[in-house]
Amino acid sequence: MIYSANSLERRLQLSGVLLILGLLTEAVCLLWARPLSFLTFITIGGAFLFLGVIVYLLALLPTKRSSKSDNS
Amino acid sequence: MHLQTTLIIALVLFSIALIAVLVVRPGVTATRGGKVMAFLVLFFLPILCATMGISSELERSKTTKFCLSCHIMEPYGQSLRVDDPSYLAAAHFQNHRVPADEACYTCHTNYAMFGSFKAKMGGLRHVYVYYLTKPPAPENIKLHEPFNNRECLHCHLGARSFEQGAVHNADPDLLPAIKANKVSCISSGCHEVVHNVGTLGKVKMWAGQP
Repeated sequence: MIYSANSLERRLQLSGVLLILGLLTEAVCLLWARPLSFLTFITIGGAFLFLGVIVYLLALLPTKRSSKSDNS
Repeated sequence: MHLQTTLIIALVLFSIALIAVLVVRPGVTATRGGKVMAFLVLFFLPILCATMGISSELERSKTTKFCLSCHIMEPYGQSLRVDDPSYLAAAHFQNHRVPADEACYTCHTNYAMFGSFKAKMGGLRHVYVYYLTKPPAPENIKLHEPFNNRECLHCHLGARSFEQGAVHNADPDLLPAIKANKVSCISSGCHEVVHNVGTLGKVKMWAGQP
């Protein structure tokens, strides 16, 4: 995978990677009905998904550079 | 595997495929359609998958199979098959007084506000004790707190066999005391034989399927 030179696209890529890790954790845990899989899903999978969504939402916020360019 | 779990896994894999497209080709988000797709794929679908996954996991954590998946709980699973009606748990399991596939949860949950949440927190404590400390022998496992009659009365309150039972009415003070949780249903001389996993080697087992 090649990271984009564009800041917004790079953040979206990071968000996507985190979400893929979270969803893969969820898929594996759903295949395995044990108390540890439940905990793994809630802690590790949940953390990846939460971070992925947060990075995506932060990527939507205007950066200083883009704000300046908007004003000019 | 349940159909519900299969569908959730299919949705998760579909979401992963769409996210992978965005990760490999982030340039597609430059267009309006791409932005909408990014919102759906990076926000909506993961939250939907997580919500459905958590719901599915919580439902599965209520099953008898899930509770008995810990090695230490195996004798408690065997106690459900004792061929003796005086064994309270076995009589409930074998006669479908509780759903056979949610037998543990039905009696050991808390039928009060946030009862399911408290039951899950209790389950987390079990996981902690099982994996991070030296767990006690199965016959030495104790309840966190005395068994509350509320859990029995959730089903039995108002039932003819409970309200008009000869033993329950032999003493006029007994029934109100049971209902007020002042006399435990599982106290000595009443329904005291519950799991009794220490004596399983000496009892006959039922070979049928509930």
